[in-house]
Amino acid sequence: MHVVLLRLALGLYFIGFMHSVLTTLNKKQTFFRPALAAMFAGFVFHVASIVLRAMDVRYLPLTQQYEAFSFFGALTTLGFLIAYAKYRIAPLSVFAFPLIFIMTFVANLFYDPNPSIPPVLRSNWIYIHTPLVFLGYAALFIAFAAAIMYLIQDRELKSKHLTRFHHRLPSLEVCDDLAYKSLAIGFPLITLGIISGALWAQSVWGVWAGDAKVLFSFLTWFVYLLLIHYRLIAGWRGKKAAYLSIVGFIGVLVTFLGANYFGGLHTF
Amino acid sequence: MQLALVGLSHKTAPVEIRERLAFNGDALRGALTSLVGREEISEAIILSTCNRVEVVAESQDDRLIREFLCEFHRIPQDSVSKHLYSFRNAEVVRHVFRVAASLDSMMIGEPQILGQVKDAYRIATDAGAVGMHLSALMNRAFAVAKKVRSETGISQSAVSVSYAAVELARKIFGDLSGKGVMIIGASKMGELAAKHLKRAGVSSVLVTNRTFERAVELAQVFEGAAVPFEHFTDHMDRADIVISSTGAPHFIITKTLAEQIIHRRKNNPMFFIDIAVPRDIDPMVNEIDNAFLYDIDDLQQVIDANLKERMKEALRAEEIVDKEVEAFCSKMQSREVVPTIVQLRDTIEKLRRDEIERNRRHLKDLSPEQQAAVDQITKSLVNKILHTPIEQLKHLTHDPQGPDIAGLIRKLFNVKPQ
Repeated sequence: MHVVLLRLALGLYFIGFMHSVLTTLNKKQTFFRPALAAMFAGFVFHVASIVLRAMDVRYLPLTQQYEAFSFFGALTTLGFLIAYAKYRIAPLSVFAFPLIFIMTFVANLFYDPNPSIPPVLRSNWIYIHTPLVFLGYAALFIAFAAAIMYLIQDRELKSKHLTRFHHRLPSLEVCDDLAYKSLAIGFPLITLGIISGALWAQSVWGVWAGDAKVLFSFLTWFVYLLLIHYRLIAGWRGKKAAYLSIVGFIGVLVTFLGANYFGGLHTF
Repeated sequence: MQLALVGLSHKTAPVEIRERLAFNGDALRGALTSLVGREEISEAIILSTCNRVEVVAESQDDRLIREFLCEFHRIPQDSVSKHLYSFRNAEVVRHVFRVAASLDSMMIGEPQILGQVKDAYRIATDAGAVGMHLSALMNRAFAVAKKVRSETGISQSAVSVSYAAVELARKIFGDLSGKGVMIIGASKMGELAAKHLKRAGVSSVLVTNRTFERAVELAQVFEGAAVPFEHFTDHMDRADIVISSTGAPHFIITKTLAEQIIHRRKNNPMFFIDIAVPRDIDPMVNEIDNAFLYDIDDLQQVIDANLKERMKEALRAEEIVDKEVEAFCSKMQSREVVPTIVQLRDTIEKLRRDEIERNRRHLKDLSPEQQAAVDQITKSLVNKILHTPIEQLKHLTHDPQGPDIAGLIRKLFNVKPQ
């Protein structure tokens, strides 16, 4: 049942995905309202799917790759819906909808009907570590999208050739504010996520074990620390902050997607 | 319903002619009363703005309105007739819709015209010159104007230098409340831009000028503060927006200066508007992070792009108007033609029944079957005679000529509403 729900959600997210593609091609909002409604409906199915799965496995459904992607997809939708409710920035959808769609799509690809939970993951730490990290990632994704919007708007304003896209994008101040606030939410979350991960590792192996994923997450965390530092101390904002925010999010992607292929403790 | 419109606008007449035909407040009321006092004119509205004078009336004849215009203003007809246009029926509807939707304006999409049309309607209503026909027309026109405004972008983007400045400021700062503007030098255009920015929410205004008195004067206008020209740079970090329009022969804001100011502002963005010729601000300033510099040509370029966009949107607006004109006219026509059909049938049927009644005495010897046959024969005769005219009328419900022909039929058969 949870797979059916997930596929339903995926179908609805596809509408959002098409909206993003057409909006980019037309340089003009294309069926935004229906897409927004579809994303919202998709989110409801998605959450229902995750809840059903949790009841199935009697465990936080984050132990499979399928579940991880699905969970991340749902959190990104949540992040988008919150950011949209607060800022009413329709163009954010152009970035968020494809990511959500792709995450959910990948989740579907990885679906394994007979899950076996690796014993190492049978720990209450999973309820703390993984949601913290994933929520943090979702917030940092919003920061990333805001940074991209900032850079597009900045370039249009500097070049003085204003395209139609320019009229749809929020002001520089709003983009920067959104990027900063998402960072302010995302950074503490990944910090706590990393700390909880270290404690978990200690409780299992008694030592701080490192693997590629741990290494990358530290690097990523450091990039964001730099960004926070520069924003607070050096008064960085706008373009420079946007570039660093993009670098940070590339780190997130490498950590999340890539690290499994390097082997290590997080390969399940 | 018979509509007629006579008028002239910036498209057909120079200002010398337009001002001679314009109606000011009191004359307007007098003119309306005198118009609807005529037997041939039952309703009238006069729209008189600096760009157009138009009389729309419920009347068969537009020549009457032409005569009236010239008589009222005591101008010989031949001197203005080549500047006047006149429309009838569906063309009136189209013209009124286009004017209200700002498609006939000098600056397409400018928002004032709708307010002016609404005022004209209100004045005519107060003067008792508006009945159900013109009120239906005008209310539809307001709805069409609203639709055009919300469904197309013809009024969306700025097409004047000062509005373009406001629009760009909004793209940089978002909400302008709490932002500050500094005006360097006193020029009309700088003043205008500052005025629009102030209206858009900018909260503090600093003014500096080589003649300090002038700066003080201008500062008073904007409820701001004047700053001596010798040290205006000391205060510049308080300004988010800088409008410069001095007569200085060289740059008064160099890249180094702008860099220092941005640094003092902790990288908070600044918007420089240079409307001076020769320019006041080094174009290199635009290369500084968080600084945005627009000179007069840049603003003009933004406006040109917006104008092009507006023209494209205007085409879409015309399509909306086309559809609306058709819908309105066919509604009006069927409103006239359908009752005519019903009333024509009733009138003739009444003739038939009266005639049978009158000859009851002669028919009483006939058997019931024969009486029924007489009744049947007269009925089918009436139906046969009316068949073609009614079919024709039904076809006419969506024809612009419908009301005319319906009127003729009413006259021929002496059909009256019952």
